[in-house]
Amino acid sequence: MSVGDGDGSPDEIELRLGAELTNLPIIRSLTSSIAMRADFDLDAIADLKLAVDEACSTLITRAAPDAALRCMFTVSKDEIRFVVSIRSTDDSTPSSDTFGWRVLTTLTDHASSWVEPVNGQHQVHIEVAKRRADGTAA
Amino acid sequence: MTDTQSSAAKNRETPDTGYEHLAPLFDEMAALDEKDPARGELRNKLVTGHLPLAEHIAARFSNRGVPREDLVQVATLGLINAVDRFQPDRGTDFLSFAVPTVMGEVRRHFRDASWSMHVPRRLKELNLAINAASAELSQRLGRAPTPSELAKHLDLSQEQVYEGLEAGNAYHSMSLDEALSPDADSDSLGETLGETDAALDGVEDYESLRPLIERLPERERTILTLRFFRHMTQTQIAERIGISQMHVSRLLARTLEQLREGMLGDED
Repeated sequence: MSVGDGDGSPDEIELRLGAELTNLPIIRSLTSSIAMRADFDLDAIADLKLAVDEACSTLITRAAPDAALRCMFTVSKDEIRFVVSIRSTDDSTPSSDTFGWRVLTTLTDHASSWVEPVNGQHQVHIEVAKRRADGTAA
Repeated sequence: MTDTQSSAAKNRETPDTGYEHLAPLFDEMAALDEKDPARGELRNKLVTGHLPLAEHIAARFSNRGVPREDLVQVATLGLINAVDRFQPDRGTDFLSFAVPTVMGEVRRHFRDASWSMHVPRRLKELNLAINAASAELSQRLGRAPTPSELAKHLDLSQEQVYEGLEAGNAYHSMSLDEALSPDADSDSLGETLGETDAALDGVEDYESLRPLIERLPERERTILTLRFFRHMTQTQIAERIGISQMHVSRLLARTLEQLREGMLGDED
């Protein structure tokens, strides 16, 4: 299903869509489907959905006009990693002192963000990772 | 639900319920032969006599998106069931038996009527079965179950469990859980606002966030606090508040969305 880089790894799922809040249910439902099929427990599935929601919402509000939201899921034995990025005119990294960031760090096991320059604009990234709960086998 | 129990208890304690004159009719009816035509007459009297009870219970659930007339009808159906199933020789009075029965009927109606899009009955039932199994397995495992554990427990395929879990997303959050709890839990949870305040100290958007959190309904605020400041899992919160994990999940998603929207509005 990976379309972005052409190196179709079997554990990678990529989604590219318009940076609109109305698209959130699509991302949410994909997240849920991926986490269910990875046999994460119901709490972890729900947490990951909320975290993906939060991360995408944060970036959508910083989107440059007509920018696409690019979501990449990587499923491994022990965790699901989600990276979302957007082209923005704003070069600041999302602050880690906000309530939204606290939501991300509470819901996941890892949260980070960074910005890289792309053609005079900025590509803003947020990455979260959710580990499989103890006692739930892969 | 505790609400049901307290209503029943109230009815037991209150000597003057207005229905005392009907009580002997149950013994009369029980004494009659199954085929005696007088039974039908007594049954009618009992149902008609207790109608205000059904109306009263229906009224408690009105203004929650389901037409009042529908609720009265459903409650009346529950009342008829209660009259038919009540056994006076069991030692409980009719009201203690009827109130939970009628409320159960109304509750089922809410459950069926509150799916936001058309979901086949099979999926609704699947979703309810998963909810029940999830609560049971969480108790046993000490954590939320996985889809494969649910499948094994319910003797279903994993695909069926996925389907049932996804059906839950179509569930309108205006459900009976919600209809029942506005004040039910508030006493034990009233302290959470101060705690949220302390925990938010140092968050840079605290000033715009605080009024938004204050404006949340008590229960939503409680769930938010328990998840993000006391780091309880959704399953633990579900158990504490007495609703399903899926419902906690829906409420949290909605609360976070409201907060995000509120913060955006604030910036403009």
